[in-house]
Amino acid sequence: MPNLNGNAYGLTTLAPILNRDPNERSYATMLKELLDALPTGEHSPMAAVPETYLCRFFVLDNVVYQGLDIVKALPLPVPASHDRLKSAYLAFTANFHGPDLDQYLWGMWDAADSTIRQIWKYCVGFEQVHDAASFAKYLRRCQVETTFYFNGSTDESLAEQLKGLYLKQELAKFAFDNQGKNAEELQAAFFDFVRRTQPEELDGPSWRAGATSLERAVIGEASPEALRAATPGTPSGLRPTAKEPVQQNVGSAAVTQ
Amino acid sequence: MSNIAGKAYAMNLVTPLQRWQTPVNRAAFWAVGTPLLAFSLRGLLTLSMIHYARWVFLRARDFPRLSDQQPEESLHYDYMLFLSNFNGSWAQYVDSFSVAIPSGLNLLWFMNVGWPKSVPQTRFHEYVTHNQVWSNHYYSAYPLAASNDVKAGSKVRKRLVDFVRQMRRGSAEHFAQNYGRMLRDLQGELSMMDVTPAVSTAAQAIADRSETKGPAHA
Amino acid sequence: MNERHELDLSDIQGNVVRGYPRYGFPKARYVFYRINDAAAGRAFLQRVFPLVTSAAMRSIAGATGAKARPSATTDVAFSYAGLQALGLPEASLRQFPEEFAVGMKARAAILGDDGPSAPVNWDPIWQDAEPVHLMIAINGANDDAIAGRYDQISTFVAQSAGGVQLRKGHRAAGRDDMPYQEGSALYEDGEATPKEHFGYVDGISNPYFEGCGAHDSAVIGGGKLVRKGFGSELAWAPLETGEFLLGHKDEAQEIAPAPKPALLSTNGTFMAYRKLHQNVSAFRDYLEAAGRDYPGGQEALAAKFAGRWRNGAPAAKFPTQAEADALTEQWHQAKLDVERSTTPEARHAAAERLSKLNVEMVDFHYNDDLGGTRCPIGSHTRRANPRAALEHGQTMAFETPSALSNRRRILRRGLPYGDSSTPGSDDHGIIFMALGASLERQFEFVQQQWLNYGNDFRLANEKDPLLGNHGVDAKGAPNGRMVVPAGEGARDVPYFCSKLPRFVETRGGEYFFVPSLTALRMIGAGSVDPT
Repeated sequence: MPNLNGNAYGLTTLAPILNRDPNERSYATMLKELLDALPTGEHSPMAAVPETYLCRFFVLDNVVYQGLDIVKALPLPVPASHDRLKSAYLAFTANFHGPDLDQYLWGMWDAADSTIRQIWKYCVGFEQVHDAASFAKYLRRCQVETTFYFNGSTDESLAEQLKGLYLKQELAKFAFDNQGKNAEELQAAFFDFVRRTQPEELDGPSWRAGATSLERAVIGEASPEALRAATPGTPSGLRPTAKEPVQQNVGSAAVTQ
Repeated sequence: MSNIAGKAYAMNLVTPLQRWQTPVNRAAFWAVGTPLLAFSLRGLLTLSMIHYARWVFLRARDFPRLSDQQPEESLHYDYMLFLSNFNGSWAQYVDSFSVAIPSGLNLLWFMNVGWPKSVPQTRFHEYVTHNQVWSNHYYSAYPLAASNDVKAGSKVRKRLVDFVRQMRRGSAEHFAQNYGRMLRDLQGELSMMDVTPAVSTAAQAIADRSETKGPAHA
Repeated sequence: MNERHELDLSDIQGNVVRGYPRYGFPKARYVFYRINDAAAGRAFLQRVFPLVTSAAMRSIAGATGAKARPSATTDVAFSYAGLQALGLPEASLRQFPEEFAVGMKARAAILGDDGPSAPVNWDPIWQDAEPVHLMIAINGANDDAIAGRYDQISTFVAQSAGGVQLRKGHRAAGRDDMPYQEGSALYEDGEATPKEHFGYVDGISNPYFEGCGAHDSAVIGGGKLVRKGFGSELAWAPLETGEFLLGHKDEAQEIAPAPKPALLSTNGTFMAYRKLHQNVSAFRDYLEAAGRDYPGGQEALAAKFAGRWRNGAPAAKFPTQAEADALTEQWHQAKLDVERSTTPEARHAAAERLSKLNVEMVDFHYNDDLGGTRCPIGSHTRRANPRAALEHGQTMAFETPSALSNRRRILRRGLPYGDSSTPGSDDHGIIFMALGASLERQFEFVQQQWLNYGNDFRLANEKDPLLGNHGVDAKGAPNGRMVVPAGEGARDVPYFCSKLPRFVETRGGEYFFVPSLTALRMIGAGSVDPT
């Protein structure tokens, strides 16, 4: 399936923009203004759409005239043909964790239907869209097939990607802060770390989708007070295992720096 | 209007190709995806600058027509859409295609009208700029992360979860030894992230302007 | 019949192709001027022109003959504002690159000149809203030679009756109105050394390009890396001239667009001049404190920071202090042998040994050390010149193994300034000059993407430990970081180095155009015409 690379889905849609009396402000122009004004980063309407890795909107006004064309068989360059599109198109392209397109589009409607209406109202045939199902159907009609989709990243779920980034940053910080500590201090500090970061919980502390600064990046961490109040001394974090005997020191040498 | 979302840059290239060449070009893409020509992708993968990138072929009839009132497109050429999400500056990205993987690139683009080849560089730069469409809204779920960071994060998470499970019980000494081993396994993944370097003075000025509009920093 | 050399070295200014300290010029004075009157400025240039040293190590005014060597050298460069002030035609000016036109101060966001490196902390001459116009660099064997040349040029300034004005405002010796910036090699036991203030031997490696006239063996380490056949074995080859001189073919296989007329730009180049203050006591303190915990101690950590031991041995090839010391001992012995040789045969043999050892210092790449076990990926020299490391061991990933490095090479020039030997002294650093055909693609790129950032090395936002613009945390404490990869032993673990202070701070500088001698003459004659 060329739109897919593993579970990563490359959605490419072109929605034709309604043409209008040339004396009026064109819908393409108004759409550009609208898109330019959308809030960005964590406040982007797309930040709320589940499983969205990266996506973009652009207005394709026309195709670009190339000037001269070098055709090898001929001794002189020939002028390129001057193609013109008869409509402008709203391109919406997304990279998300699939593999199911409908699930994504339904999720998009649920999260951002008012923005969707604002944007696509300038497009041909959108008057038929009134709910998630009709929106999904509409965008499928606008979909063009991806010929070749290159994945230079992962195809994990967004939650896994964000958790991974959060843990990378936090574990790195932990390693720097605890350089040189002795074994007991290290172990105790690490247990605190696990309680705070909950590495196994994708729903737990993580990075906020679309965050543009480190100050805004972390979400879901319990407050320091709450962490202190939680049961101390449990090796596996906030989910204490039942009655495991503590293994004695088997005499292994201390780790070398 | 911005092509930039933190560390990610959105490039949209729309280029024409002779209609009879489309099937040949498609075949080239198919070939590139096979193990036979995997070497041509090795450069892209090693560059490691890209999150996701795609190529899309559009014939006149592929442009969606959603009502009878909408005029049918009639075009002399077919079109190739190239959409990329990459890290680093535009110049760095385009240059890397020019010096690092030009033959792979030529394979995918040589049918395009006016394609100057990706080496030498100046005409290639001009070709890209000439055909680039600016994004009106660009969103990344992780502006603070490059593609390398996302991949590193995945390694860290998996290894850390394994480690946590293994270290449920044990002495401090045992723990410390294994902790050291874990750090060693992850040493290439534990550099810390922050905002992107200034992509250009123009982009930086715009970013500074929008910051000053907001609440003052503490 | 004399063969025509690839490059007309007599048309290229000396400091572009030669690093003067190596040629017996361990002292320098960098002088800056303002052009108040274009005609007076041109007349001044015409007077200076005969003193300008070419890469053939000659000046028109100097002695002729094979053994002639100037006692002092003179190199001339212009800022964009300076070219304007001298009346260069608008049509030519427009074709100069953007970063050069706006000047270095305006590029602070790109270069990471923030916090203590911000222009507000620069020497008065560089902070001034009025940019400098003209730079004259005088290098000499000793202070007298320099003073002599300086006096000569000062006479020409006086003759301009205010048309050319000396710019003061360099900080030194407690003053901030010095008329020039001095540079000098650091001396030990009365001998000039190639060391800088942190104690590292500096300037070991410089690019080798077609026609540069250096000894053939300098291609090793100085050139680019190419594949031998289809395997993973690598060989050295010269870089294209056009990476360092305008008007020649470059690594992108073209002669890049350059300001017209061609006579104005060909054989010229661009230069970033930067005064870099070094926090020597902070560096010593940090090494001492961290060296207590770090296995191998201070010297080993210093080697991890730089990628070379302080004595110059490359960590990638000489991973232990014992091996590094052994190399330098051999080198010193070979040098002594050359000096003390009593017969030509002995001297020749000793010179061969010395030459081989010099090659040892530069003949390496990182493909046997991809994980950075010996030379950390984030160490300074590996960042500044990754050689073939950006292929990350993937044979044939790129057209050539060092493809991503070839267009980012820099010719490094300059000298230390100030004295760091007395405790409490704070006025010392390095006058750093980076030359290349494109400031943006070479110097600025390395500075921004490779020194102050780490993504190309898969090091996220980590910075160069020595030169990076490390920041401070919310409480104002230094928070630079570096992961030092684990050593080769089975039980070795990585070392997480934190709280790195900013060791190097920018104190000023500017972007300059270094014209060929032909172009210099034309600028002085006012005859530049792109028509």
